[in-house]
Amino acid sequence: MPLVGTRSVSAFEGGPKVSPLAGEQWLLPGCGILQVMYEIDADAITSLLPPALHPTIPPTVVFTITNVPESPVGPFVMAEAKVGSRSGARPRGLLVTGFVSTGAAADALGAAWGYPLRVAEVTLSKRYDRVSGRVVASGSRVLDMALMNPEPISGNDIQYLANLNVAQIERDRTWISRLVQSDPEFTFRSADRGGPHLEAFEAGAFGLAGAIPVFPVSASYAIADIQMPELRYVADPAKSPIAAVERL
Amino acid sequence: MKFGIFYEISVPRPWGPTTEYEVYQNCLEQVRLADELGFDQVWAVEHHFLEEYSHCSAPEIFLTACAMQTKNIRIGRGIVVCVPQFNNPVKAAEVAATMDLVSGGRLEFGTGRSATWTELGGMGADPDETKKTWDEWTRIIPKMWTQERFGYQGRAFSMPQRTILPKPLQKPHPPMWVAVTSPGTELDAADRGMGSLGLTFGGFREQEKKIAEYRRRIKHCEPVGSFVNEQVNTVNFLMCHPDLDYGAKAGQRLAGTFNYMAEQLLAARQAYPTRSYPNLGLLPALRREATSAPEGAIPEGLCIGNPDRIVEVIKNWESVGVDRINFLLNAAETIPQHEVLESMRLFAREVMPKFARTAEPVGAATGGV
Repeated sequence: MPLVGTRSVSAFEGGPKVSPLAGEQWLLPGCGILQVMYEIDADAITSLLPPALHPTIPPTVVFTITNVPESPVGPFVMAEAKVGSRSGARPRGLLVTGFVSTGAAADALGAAWGYPLRVAEVTLSKRYDRVSGRVVASGSRVLDMALMNPEPISGNDIQYLANLNVAQIERDRTWISRLVQSDPEFTFRSADRGGPHLEAFEAGAFGLAGAIPVFPVSASYAIADIQMPELRYVADPAKSPIAAVERL
Repeated sequence: MKFGIFYEISVPRPWGPTTEYEVYQNCLEQVRLADELGFDQVWAVEHHFLEEYSHCSAPEIFLTACAMQTKNIRIGRGIVVCVPQFNNPVKAAEVAATMDLVSGGRLEFGTGRSATWTELGGMGADPDETKKTWDEWTRIIPKMWTQERFGYQGRAFSMPQRTILPKPLQKPHPPMWVAVTSPGTELDAADRGMGSLGLTFGGFREQEKKIAEYRRRIKHCEPVGSFVNEQVNTVNFLMCHPDLDYGAKAGQRLAGTFNYMAEQLLAARQAYPTRSYPNLGLLPALRREATSAPEGAIPEGLCIGNPDRIVEVIKNWESVGVDRINFLLNAAETIPQHEVLESMRLFAREVMPKFARTAEPVGAATGGV
């Protein structure tokens, strides 16, 4: 049996209370998405994940900063650090804590899709020699990353992980902890790849204490329209990967 | 139709001091039995770092052991990773020739390029380069076998003239194959006059189209070797049991375990944006096949169940143009060894005789000793 997460399920309690949107989901046009992947120290291969998830081999963290110029709650920039994992046989990225530039976006993304976000200064900037993203939370730089020397590729060559967001759902009038699956669809307008570079990462700020990036893997930057999904699945963090997934 | 067995050599956790030893010994016992029962070939993969899924990083050693313990079964190097961070073309040619000599001319030579970030990243290989180096190696290795002295100045590999020794026993050289996981690689095989070593399943209809196109293209190929090896080899699971229901359930458990372990790996495409890996390779195809049937039904293309069902499945594969089927017999020791051996015996007794030998394919005929 493949390895499974060993982290206490108490680490997955709390998170936003989800009230899924009824009807049409958000379409977010012209978003800029910077993604940087690193392998992390194998000592943390199981300690970041709940029993409901398998680690990838090798273990990874995927950093994503998304600039959303238009949305029902106005423009915002969101930063995530997701642990590469498998829900049974399905590839997923576990998001314990992320950051977003506005309170309205934090509330809306949390309520509709379970994104566990704190408000911080999140920026994404594009130059000809690099695309860089930064998060400053409570005066501290918790993430600073870049794609160096961008070169054009096809958007079809980029793969994004579906999220498992640490959140709460209501069942029998009680709020319970669940990992909420969010798998937006992307329509690419342009894409680049380049060298991954990580200047700063405070793992504890993202709820990932012990995640030590040790080896750069890849970096991409895309302009895409994002269709936010209708929620369908959640996972019980306490159960085994085979038994954890539930239909919402 | 020819039958073979195929090894990833998966080793389940927990890993005790002798777990790998026991799994290897089980595999060798299966190979000895396969030889006695008349299976035609045994193939072993080359994988690195793939925890539990495949502990087969030195297949040339395993296959040499197989050759030393058997008399007739052909040994398939499936595949040599044609990427300089993994291997060296001179060494690959030398090892293959030695295996052919010590086995008495029983080598089948598979080529490929790896499909996981786990391996490519671990070895420090550039995913953009693998298809190009594979292409270059497949053209020079047969020349290393057949030319007395070989020298070459290429893109990713160059060497001054040297005598590469030993030479294979099979003349002009062993049959050459390409591992086919990505769509379109079967056409790469055809264009180069190489056998298609299919590592995906797919339904009968999907495979029929691919095989027809392979056969059409290979007629106009420019062979990289000294002869055209027009053959279609595919992989399947085998669980043959007198009781249909038991065999099907055990077989589905085997397929499901294999698939589940495969999905824990990090495919090249999942980690690194590149057009060199346009899809996820073997893994999604396996999952599709293992889960393609409605609840309670047996996936149509899998050789699991009782002999009657398996005969029907193989007839279907034969009708769409498959020349050889290689069976995965176990995954993570899910099936007890005695049941694996009984499954092989029952298959040999009741299924194999239904598939009379046809004439030798072109490649095997000209590639023999």
